[in-house]
Amino acid sequence: MSAVESQGVALGGLEQAELPVARTARRRRPTARSLTLRIVGTVFVLALLVFMVGPIVWLAVRAFSGLWQYPQFLPSDWTLQWWRTVFDDKTLGHSMRLSFEFAPIVTVASAAICLPAAYAFSRFNFPGRRVLLVSLFATNAFPKIGLYISMAGVFYSLNLMGTFLGVVIVQLIGTIVFMTWIPTAAFSAIPRSLEEAARDVGAGPLRVFFRVTFPLAAPGIFVAMILSFLAAFDEAQGTFLVGIPNYITMPTEMYTLVLNYPEQAAAVFSILLAIPSVVLMSLARKHVMGGKLAEGFQIR
Amino acid sequence: MVLPPVAVVAVFIGFPVGAAIAYTLGKTGGPNSTVSLLAQRQHVAHHGVTTAAYREVLGNSHVRADLWATVWVTLVTIAVVVLLSWAIGLYLRLSDTRISRIVSALSVIPLFIPVVIASYAILTFYASQGFIKTLAYHLGWHSFPTLGYTLWAVVIGEIWVNVPFGVLMMSSGLNSVPNALIEAARDSGASLPRTVRSVLLPMNVIPTVIVATFTGIYVLGSFTVPYLTGPSAPNLMGVSMANFFSAFNQPQQAEVMAMIVFVLAIGIGTIYIWANVRAAKRASSTT
Amino acid sequence: MKARLLAIAVAVLVFVPAAFSAVDAGGSMHAAKKANAGTTIVVYASGDVNVQNLWQNNIIPQFEKANKGIYVKFVFSEHGTQDGTTLARIGAAVKGRHWPGIDLVDGGLVTTMASAGLNQPVKKATAPNLKKVNPDLLVPVKGNAIPYRGSSVVLAYNTDHVKSPPKTLQGLLDWIKANPGKFTYNSPNSGGSGYSFAETVVDSFLSKSVNTQMVNDYVPNLESNWKQGFDTLHGLNKYVYQGVYPNGNAAVLTLLGQGQIWVAPVWSDQALTALKNGQLGPNIKLSQISSPSFTGGAAYLAVPKTAKHKKVLYKFVNYVLSPKAQQMIVDVMAGFPAIDVKYMGDAIKQKFQDVDANILRQTYNTKMQNDFKAQWQQTVP
Repeated sequence: MSAVESQGVALGGLEQAELPVARTARRRRPTARSLTLRIVGTVFVLALLVFMVGPIVWLAVRAFSGLWQYPQFLPSDWTLQWWRTVFDDKTLGHSMRLSFEFAPIVTVASAAICLPAAYAFSRFNFPGRRVLLVSLFATNAFPKIGLYISMAGVFYSLNLMGTFLGVVIVQLIGTIVFMTWIPTAAFSAIPRSLEEAARDVGAGPLRVFFRVTFPLAAPGIFVAMILSFLAAFDEAQGTFLVGIPNYITMPTEMYTLVLNYPEQAAAVFSILLAIPSVVLMSLARKHVMGGKLAEGFQIR
Repeated sequence: MVLPPVAVVAVFIGFPVGAAIAYTLGKTGGPNSTVSLLAQRQHVAHHGVTTAAYREVLGNSHVRADLWATVWVTLVTIAVVVLLSWAIGLYLRLSDTRISRIVSALSVIPLFIPVVIASYAILTFYASQGFIKTLAYHLGWHSFPTLGYTLWAVVIGEIWVNVPFGVLMMSSGLNSVPNALIEAARDSGASLPRTVRSVLLPMNVIPTVIVATFTGIYVLGSFTVPYLTGPSAPNLMGVSMANFFSAFNQPQQAEVMAMIVFVLAIGIGTIYIWANVRAAKRASSTT
Repeated sequence: MKARLLAIAVAVLVFVPAAFSAVDAGGSMHAAKKANAGTTIVVYASGDVNVQNLWQNNIIPQFEKANKGIYVKFVFSEHGTQDGTTLARIGAAVKGRHWPGIDLVDGGLVTTMASAGLNQPVKKATAPNLKKVNPDLLVPVKGNAIPYRGSSVVLAYNTDHVKSPPKTLQGLLDWIKANPGKFTYNSPNSGGSGYSFAETVVDSFLSKSVNTQMVNDYVPNLESNWKQGFDTLHGLNKYVYQGVYPNGNAAVLTLLGQGQIWVAPVWSDQALTALKNGQLGPNIKLSQISSPSFTGGAAYLAVPKTAKHKKVLYKFVNYVLSPKAQQMIVDVMAGFPAIDVKYMGDAIKQKFQDVDANILRQTYNTKMQNDFKAQWQQTVP
């Protein structure tokens, strides 16, 4: 590693990430070249916005549209009738509620079993450490559709079929990679000297963990929890396999909703389903962007 | 302390994976007795193992076409996602204005849209009466090709779904490069592209590899996006597997395809591990 | 301030639902309320939304009203998307002698279950209304499944653009070539309406005896007879809408409703429901073709061998086959009754008097269907 890089590593830290670079931007008189660059940049940003946000906006407009003929940009007739149709449908509410019940519980359970493991991976250099970390990652790469029959057999023999715990386990499996790798890196980034110092003044190991280690690792753990929440929320087939008959969550309903109703009703469903996620995102954005996510996936 | 997550994965995934591998080699007893009861057109191994199932699947020219389609869609998606993530990440890093923050926030939205909705939105947007065609019409281009139901719609859909993770990863990686370094480079007269190439790029090889790896693995096994937006043939492996498993009632062939996808995914994963090990070695050798 | 807000949001998201479900004590709220007294049976249906409506809003509430103390829990999944998973569940359960979580199954997977021996045969002694069922429908499943309604595929057409629809299969094929891009059908692996069109084209080249054998048995050695039909279908590629065969019956209905295609094969009951809820406009009408007609078929119910409360279950099955419930199938879903019309009311007898016996032209044995779908995927698109 060059001297520049090592200096970078030494300086890299939470405080550094906060300073904006813009303050040190050079001021130059606008030249033809920089003007062209500006135009290109603006076009690029516009195209990007259309690409990323366009499909959702296009669909969302349909939720309010009556008559819409090609090639008009907007409907010629606006209406709220589709919202009424959707709210009259009673089945949607139940599965939505179930989805919101399972995902948080799975996230918390995943944290409970994976965080101690993450701490061990980060602090103790035991043999096979790297192999285990990698195998947690590798087993998720096998397409799950090929596994359902055998998984059903395992769940039956453990009496977990159709139970709340069974569904939690199925969803939890998909979150393990996030909940081990990212917190491992978060813990590794905390200097041991801090923990040792705390222990030197007489704090017990649990106290050290909760007062020193955990708060510093919190942003990384938080990111892991968000990604796990989303993974559990979106889990469809495994949940269906184990959850019949009492625990059918939302992703299963979504195929029906989106494919079987007129486009406008599907658009209404889409908006309703996207709202909670977007709200969560706007609150969490600061921690998730510009945070320590990248370090979470490095094997040391 | 490490045991709980490892045990969960070993029991609920590791064991079924082992059973699946045995099934592809023709072992239809034990844990595979249920699936072999339901299946048709299987190759059973009476002594030892048989590679007949593999030979049948790999010898099928349509499956090979599906495989090729999956591979090129994956490669194109990886390339575009990496480029876009870098572009948005750099934009956020180098010009911290309100606009750049809005752009980066918006580019993360797809992460929170359930994939069924996302696929449906992409299909409608690029369909023959969708936004792109409408825009082209108003710009005078009346017979702009329709992208819906083609592999390009699948590529666009996969890119759309994977950009958020890429942006999160790259912005995180780029942010950990201290300002002092960038300023030092600029002060010594380096132009912006040169700064990017010499300072930011080398320090962000790992996040780039992460984005490429996760995107690749996702697209390889992807089902919903190609199912809703793609053509009738060739299909991506995820859709083809589902067809063999359910519609054609040939689970053994489906498992063989799952193994192929698994091997490809492991291949990508190996690149990732190699990159990490190399970086860790370099880190430890110079401190 | 923002961090506080965030912490509160997280706390709400995590702890409130967790508290809810702790109160729930491991069961869904509905089931807990209902299952306190009496027996609960679980019915699973896989299909399109008109099937969901039939069970959820008609047959089940009426049954529960007539049989106090019996509760029916209904689980539904969109046509085909969870069939593989459900089959895995039932297969593993029957093999290990556990309860599969489902007592009665309605959907395409029933015939696969029958051929795998997972079903409990239902006898006429326990469900007397079985005697009223057309015996031809019991042959393909060898008595291991119960036919409960019939459905046929019809031709839907857009009256704004198509003044008089084709009346024969050949006429339809000619129309398709004369109007490129205005017709399509869904891929056979994803929906029955498209499957029916494909099979009908292939059947037009088969002799009656070969066709009958394929209906009644699994005869893979006869599959070479399909070649001509598949070549014809392959030849249609450049004439169908965008050269694509969308996934799912509903996708084709959407294209038809948007006016992107003008003619398509559709399930009669699904189309009538779509006309009612606005997915298809009033300019869409339905018609039949002949020589040969589209296949139709019975929809079957199955009782897994390890289902619970079998006596109650047979009572339910008997109810589904009663003239009262079969009337619902005709009125609500515009389907065909599985029992002979002579047992039903005069209005029904009148309605089906003019119906050509060809309408319910039977489709192949399940394993033949699976091979058909595989070959279609390999040779056509």
